[in-house]
Order: sequence, then structure tokens, then C-alpha cells
Amino acid sequence: METEEQARNRFQSELEFVQCLANPNYLNFLAQRGVLRERPFINYLKYLLYWKEPEYSKFLKYPHCLHMLELLQYEHFRKELVNAQCAKFIDEQQLLHWQHYSRKRTRLQQALAEQQQPQQQPPPHGNATTK
Amino acid sequence: MRLKHEEEESLPVRAAMGTAAEKSTKERLLSVLDDLEVLSRELIEMLALSRTQKLPQTGEDTQILELLVQRDREFQELMEVAQHQGKVHQEMQLLEKEVEKRDSDIQQLQKQLKEAEHILATAVYQAKEKLKSIEKARKGSISSEEIIKYAHRISASNAVCAPLNWVPGDPRRPYPTDLEMRSGMLGHMANLPTNGVNGHLPGDALAAGRLPDVLTPHYPWQSSDVSVGMLPPHHGNDFGLEPPGHNKENEDDVEAMSTDSSSSSSDSD
Repeated sequence: METEEQARNRFQSELEFVQCLANPNYLNFLAQRGVLRERPFINYLKYLLYWKEPEYSKFLKYPHCLHMLELLQYEHFRKELVNAQCAKFIDEQQLLHWQHYSRKRTRLQQALAEQQQPQQQPPPHGNATTK
Repeated sequence: MRLKHEEEESLPVRAAMGTAAEKSTKERLLSVLDDLEVLSRELIEMLALSRTQKLPQTGEDTQILELLVQRDREFQELMEVAQHQGKVHQEMQLLEKEVEKRDSDIQQLQKQLKEAEHILATAVYQAKEKLKSIEKARKGSISSEEIIKYAHRISASNAVCAPLNWVPGDPRRPYPTDLEMRSGMLGHMANLPTNGVNGHLPGDALAAGRLPDVLTPHYPWQSSDVSVGMLPPHHGNDFGLEPPGHNKENEDDVEAMSTDSSSSSSDSD
């Protein structure tokens, strides 16, 4: 049916495309051009769900795209994406979520640093009283 | 005869025996008693008459006496029969009680059996559910090393976790940016000017006919091309029928946007 070369190209292009879906600005771009309303495109999105299988998902660098892909299956979501505010909101939430772990880590480090400080203070007092 | 009813009340208990075809013992007893009564009445009348008048027929009183004796004998026999029937009736009642007891025993056993069946059915059902979940877990099992490798890959490239020194203004994002999209294979395949609308990727465009043409962009300055490049919708409906047959060795071929195992391993440690 298709040659190995063609199959490889198709794999790569579909891999790149599905990861592009993680970009809310790109989704807004597609929505405003009416691409998300076309029946063939909607079928294509459904077809792309194969990237959820572990054999394929291990190639994904930006896993956010899978969640976006799932959301794109719903017509309501596709309709909403026409608004620029919607895309901006998604972008903001995505960034905040992205920063969640690093923020959590810095908070933990701060808490740990604070814990160590009181331990360092008592020894000087102890020395003073023994004198 | 009106005396029949009085005799019924004064007589002792009698079992209601006898088949429907014959007269029941009770009826026979009653009729015998009636005869006895009639005969004794006649005898007394005759005796009363014989005082005042001469006996009209000499043989009649002996006749009546004989009948009386006969009836009495019948009466005795019937009483014995009635007694015997009473005993049988008692035995029957005892047996009926036994039968009732056995019936209740059987019902108890039935209840216990039903309970046991219910418990076993639940146990079997839960065991089946467990087996199903075991099977499901086994199906989805991935080696922990692979998972760790993948986790490292997506974290090291800051795709799922922001870099620790990230500030607003940093161009890095959890999704492929315009630049990355354009430098990928899709971006190169698009033979379009790079200054797309809003600086966003025109690169979802594909050479018409080489890839799914549902992604053909609708640029106003390309309206004529678009109408030529778009294939009829039925081609698009071919999607979603079967998973693609991809080669997994393509890992080496992919570029900036795709996962790149070689580069991430150099990033580690």
C-alpha cells in the first residue's frame, strides 16, 4: 500500500502535528479558520487518538497534547476555541500548571531551610548557659 | 321424625369416617338409635295397652323384642367400629404432625441452601472481578525502567515542568512554539511564505495530496489554490478505521519537535 519511506514520513508528520495541538494559540488559529468545523478534520482528530497507546505515546515530547486531543473530541470545546479569550485562558492555565512542580519544589526547599534554622540557634544559647 | 335431631346432640363424639359411597358410621349409628327408639316406644305402648285391653296379636311383642335385641347388637358393633376408627384417626393426626415437622425441616434446609448459594455467588463474582482487574493490569504493564526513562526525557526538556529559573518573558513553553513548529518536518513541507497570519504556523499546510488534505489552510491569497488542492470530503472519511502501521524505528529520524532519545540522554546527569 504505502512504501516504508511514506510510512515513516506519515509517522513523523502525524507525530509533529499531534504535538502542535498542545499549543492553544495554534488551536485558536485553526478554529478561526473554520478547520475545526470540517467533518474530515474531526474524523482525523478521532483517528489521532491512537497516540494514547503506550507504544506510540512514548514518542511524545509534549504530553499536554494528549489532553488537548481528548478535549478536541468534544464539539463544545471546538466551538469555544474560536474565542481568543478562551485560547488565552487555556494558555495561562497551562503555564501555571507547568510551573506548579517547580513552585512546589522551591516551597519545599524553603520549608526545609526554615526547619534547619531553629536547629542552629539553640546551640549558641546552650554554650552561654554552661558558662 | 322430630326426635332425630335431639338424639344427634346427646350422642357422644363420632369420627366422620366411611367413604362417600357408603353411609358414614355416624349416620349408621344414628339410624340404629332411631330404630331402637322406635321399637322401644312401640313396646312400651303395647305394654301400656296390654294393661287395659287384651293383646290383639301375641306374636308382635316377641317380634318387637327380637328386633330390639338385634338393633342393640348392631349398635354395639357400630360402637366398636367407631372406637377403632377413632384410634386410626389419632394415628393419622400424629403422622400429620410428623409430616409437618419434616416439612419445616426441609424449608429450613432450603433457606440455608439459598443463603449458601448467594454467598458463593458473590464470592465467585468478586473473584472474577479481581481476575479481570489483574488481567487489565497485566495488559497495561510497562517496565519501570522504560517509564523512568520516559519521565526523564519529558522532564529534562522542560516539557512538563517549568525550568527553575523561568520568568515571564522566557520564550520556553510546555508546547511546541512557532519556531519549533516551523523547523519541524511539517514546517519544511509547507511551500508557503513564513510570515503567516499572526505569526502562527502556516506549517500545518501540506503539499496537497501527499498528506491528509483536511489540513489544507485557507489563506485568502490562496483561495484559488485551496479550491484546487482540497479533495472531496469522502477521502477524509477514511480516517479512524484502523490504526496506522508505523515503524517504531523512526525514533532516530525525528527532529526538533519530536522525541529525541539521543539528545536527552546527553542531557542526563
